[in-house]
Amino acid sequence: MNGWMGRIVTIDLGSGRQEELPVGDEMRRRYLGGRGLGVRLYSDLCPQPLDPLAPENAILFMTGPLTGTVMTSGRFQVVSRSPLTGTICDSSSGGSFGAALKSAGLDGLVVRGRAERPVYLAVSPAGVEVRDAAGIWGLNTQPAQKALQERAGAKASVACIGPAGENLVPFAAILNDRDRAAGRGGMGAVMGAKNLKAVVAAGDRATAIADPEGYREMGLRLDRAVDKNPVTGKSLQVLGTSVLVNIVNAHGMFPTENFRRGVFNDAEGISGEKIAESLLLRQSACYKCPIGCGRTTRTRNKSGEGPEYETVWAFGAHLGVSDLAAIAEANYACNELGLDTITMGSTIGCAMELCESGAWDAGLRWGDAGRLAGWVEDTAHLRGVGVDLALGSKRLAAKFGKPELAMQVKGMEIPAYDPRGAQGMALAYATSSRGGCHMRAYMIMPEVLGHPVFLDRFSTAGKPEIVALFQDIAAVVDSLVLCRFLQFAVGISTLSEMLRTVTGLDFGDEELLRAGRRVNTLERLVNIRAGFTRADDTLPPRFLNEEFQTGSSRHRVVRLEEMLDRYYAVRGWDPLGKPTAATLAELGL
Amino acid sequence: MAGTVEVRFYALLRRRLERSALAVDGDGLAVLDLLSRAEQQAGRPFLDEILDRGRGLLNGTMILVNGENIRLKQGLATRVRAGDVVDLFSPAGGG
Ligand code: SF4
Repeated sequence: MNGWMGRIVTIDLGSGRQEELPVGDEMRRRYLGGRGLGVRLYSDLCPQPLDPLAPENAILFMTGPLTGTVMTSGRFQVVSRSPLTGTICDSSSGGSFGAALKSAGLDGLVVRGRAERPVYLAVSPAGVEVRDAAGIWGLNTQPAQKALQERAGAKASVACIGPAGENLVPFAAILNDRDRAAGRGGMGAVMGAKNLKAVVAAGDRATAIADPEGYREMGLRLDRAVDKNPVTGKSLQVLGTSVLVNIVNAHGMFPTENFRRGVFNDAEGISGEKIAESLLLRQSACYKCPIGCGRTTRTRNKSGEGPEYETVWAFGAHLGVSDLAAIAEANYACNELGLDTITMGSTIGCAMELCESGAWDAGLRWGDAGRLAGWVEDTAHLRGVGVDLALGSKRLAAKFGKPELAMQVKGMEIPAYDPRGAQGMALAYATSSRGGCHMRAYMIMPEVLGHPVFLDRFSTAGKPEIVALFQDIAAVVDSLVLCRFLQFAVGISTLSEMLRTVTGLDFGDEELLRAGRRVNTLERLVNIRAGFTRADDTLPPRFLNEEFQTGSSRHRVVRLEEMLDRYYAVRGWDPLGKPTAATLAELGL
Repeated sequence: MAGTVEVRFYALLRRRLERSALAVDGDGLAVLDLLSRAEQQAGRPFLDEILDRGRGLLNGTMILVNGENIRLKQGLATRVRAGDVVDLFSPAGGG
């Protein structure tokens, strides 16, 4: 078979039984791989909503038809039900683990059940082996990876959890290739609940290419497109993602002190420009990636990866902190302990506002840079204030009687773009299938950065259509599985061409976009089964009612209602947000 | 400086020019003319990072006048006044 390996293995950690999961050509064609095929299989395996931490719940590690081929194709997607949100969730990570899993001969690995004792899985072309993780359980992510790497050899790649995942913190991450993270949605806790410390993958299977000549040619064109594009060819390389700090701040939508202001006075001090001249040691890159947006950095005491834009914000402006070294060290701690930096930082910000309002007396104060890494440690180990911080912002704010202070959608904390500054981004947050995330439809691209076209960020006109389109394209990229930053340089037709040369199947743009639409609609169905309704497609009241008084997004609120009906109509969903029978029939769902 | 327009440089422009701002005598100028004057004053070319060969805006260039993108105004023909702040960003991205 070209493109895919044609093999997905499921393993039950309770019984040790493993079997191959049959997936037909038609299903591969309709769901591609990665996120799409993962969500399809998840929904078939777990048709009724399960407690995400129950043994029966499944977690899937998915590669895609392009994994191990073109640039940025070392990634993988993890799919399960999120313990943070209760929605369907898929979380993406870079590095090379995806390529390693595929070289072990797998399109996907499905894990169910709960091991009696801590274990890890060793995956190779010879099969999947359950191994004892005694001596590794309890370790931080870096020593754990190092120990497993030593056992498995230099070519192996390790994806593992840290203490946060072991302790079932609902926003625990999975770390691989040292510092790459499947961060959002708590997939690390799902592993922890299974007593699964890590998956180690290695192999020698190459992805078969249907049209080697066309593939080589396309690869050269892709190289040129990425190199020529000022974002992928220059900005991301030199300045990393934190170049966004000054940009978003200048647009008055850089969330400051739990989204109470849109301008952070010390933005310069935590900007990508500043990181480049202070903390930066070198650029770092995922498997076969010429872009290399990663930052290896050091402070006086430590070194590590990051901070990326979202993390600079979450531990910086969001908390009123402008000490870059403290932000970087909080980031390193999250990586070591296995925590999502966005939810961690956002929850601390929520706690600070709770404390300021008098609702909680835990003593967290704006700007307290010195205690950041300590709070992260406490959260991962469930001690002191960390017991409450480990709830995530939604449960924390509800516990202290102020649910409106949690800046979340469906339980997932929204990232570093205030939705009052970009109406399309607001709609994307409200309708994202995994809650408040920017990766389901990155509307900042057209609304702020001007790619591929520039749109008026304050207008709602046409936004429902574009959000739906962006969501569909994102689902395609996540299913192929490639890095979303390629989108700055190439469009959908390049993606379908890549898929054609690799698989030999005559995919067209239309068919790919329909696959994206199918994935989004299926995710909707899974969420409806879990009890989500139109009422959940909303934003915290702060964004709907309160205006900024300063900055260039002042005097604006999100006009969600005027976009939502239209969005459902564009999607072929009824006014309650349920896919209509005609839509399901059209998509073959 | 009174009577001038503050031009601020970000992203790759700042690295190229090794400075973060310039006060430009530009009251009443269109942005395009302001930029040419800023380039002269900076003593180093930088317009190639933000304009195309036909002197139009490169895809992805962000120029804000008092926080508002000139693409929502009159583009490079937008006039500036003394006291205005003009932010220049070369094309950039992240996520
Ligand atoms: S652009 Fe960045 S995140 Fe994407 S594959 Fe390259 S290094 Fe990894």
